[in-house]
Amino acid sequence: MTRLARPALALLAALAVLPGPAGCARAPVSAPFGDPQAGHIVMARQACGSCHRIPGDELAIGRAGPPLAHMARRTVIAGVLPNTPDNLAHWVQSPQSVVPGNAMPDMGLSARQARDVAAYLETLE
Amino acid sequence: MSALARPWVRLAIAAAAGAAAAGAVAGLLALAVIYGGLFDATADTPHIPVVAWAAHNAFKTSVRARADQAEPPPALTSDQLLDGVRVYDANCSACHGAPGVNRAGFAQAMIPTPPYLLDAARRWDRRQLAWIVDHGIKMTAMPAWGEVLPKDRIDHVVGFVYALPRLSPMDYARLRARALASAPPGRPIPAALAPAQPRPATPASGAAPSGPPSGAPPA
Repeated sequence: MTRLARPALALLAALAVLPGPAGCARAPVSAPFGDPQAGHIVMARQACGSCHRIPGDELAIGRAGPPLAHMARRTVIAGVLPNTPDNLAHWVQSPQSVVPGNAMPDMGLSARQARDVAAYLETLE
Repeated sequence: MSALARPWVRLAIAAAAGAAAAGAVAGLLALAVIYGGLFDATADTPHIPVVAWAAHNAFKTSVRARADQAEPPPALTSDQLLDGVRVYDANCSACHGAPGVNRAGFAQAMIPTPPYLLDAARRWDRRQLAWIVDHGIKMTAMPAWGEVLPKDRIDHVVGFVYALPRLSPMDYARLRARALASAPPGRPIPAALAPAQPRPATPASGAAPSGPPSGAPPA
């Protein structure tokens, strides 16, 4: 039973960060996975926009990497990882461990920052 | 019928009076911002969006207007390009990173934050890049490198930045190793003669944008 409880909880947690129906505001600070607003700030500080286009940020016009629009709907991250919040956090924290030699450096994010960034990306429908 | 009675004259007088009043109000507001401390000069409070938009676009048009009058940069030999890699490694990569290489930890605390330059050459031509490097950018941390670097080395590093979109992280690491190993005597060698390695991950706990940093160490 307890073996099943953990994946079930993880699934519940994953479902909890999925955006609700349109018009239904979510409480970002108490989101269980990460804080999307904090993640947005981390992304600005880390200059993600110099390589990626980011919806709603007209200064984020980079074309070195893929645009981040619709990240919440992507099925695969970096061509290799299934797109789950945990995998997304893992990717943004250590992309070199997922695809060694790719152009995106390990940015030195803390685990918390990585979760916040993943939470923000999961808001991009 | 006097001139004042004509409708268009009255309209013109009203418009002038309105413009003067608006100007006076704008002037008073500006004085309040300057002398009243209304402007938040701290770096970690971002510009309000309209100011960010205005500053960024003014920067872009300023560079284009000036750089497009400049002389075209010279063609470079491969030795000069290697020198560009050395200049980049010594002066640029800490703030701007490189293919597969992150910036120094402090760069995330520089606001506006210095961009990675992997596709800078897709946004600026060589004259514009040279102008930016040579003269720096007001109200950012971008130095006017022309103050401290000879003109030819600025051309070299600009040539290298212009080639960045065609370099894979592996290409860059190899090029950097070659450049540092072949540094002519008298030119400072800034780092160990080793291929580029990602910098050690900084915990960045002090830079967590909200709330206390989590206790979990970075992986």
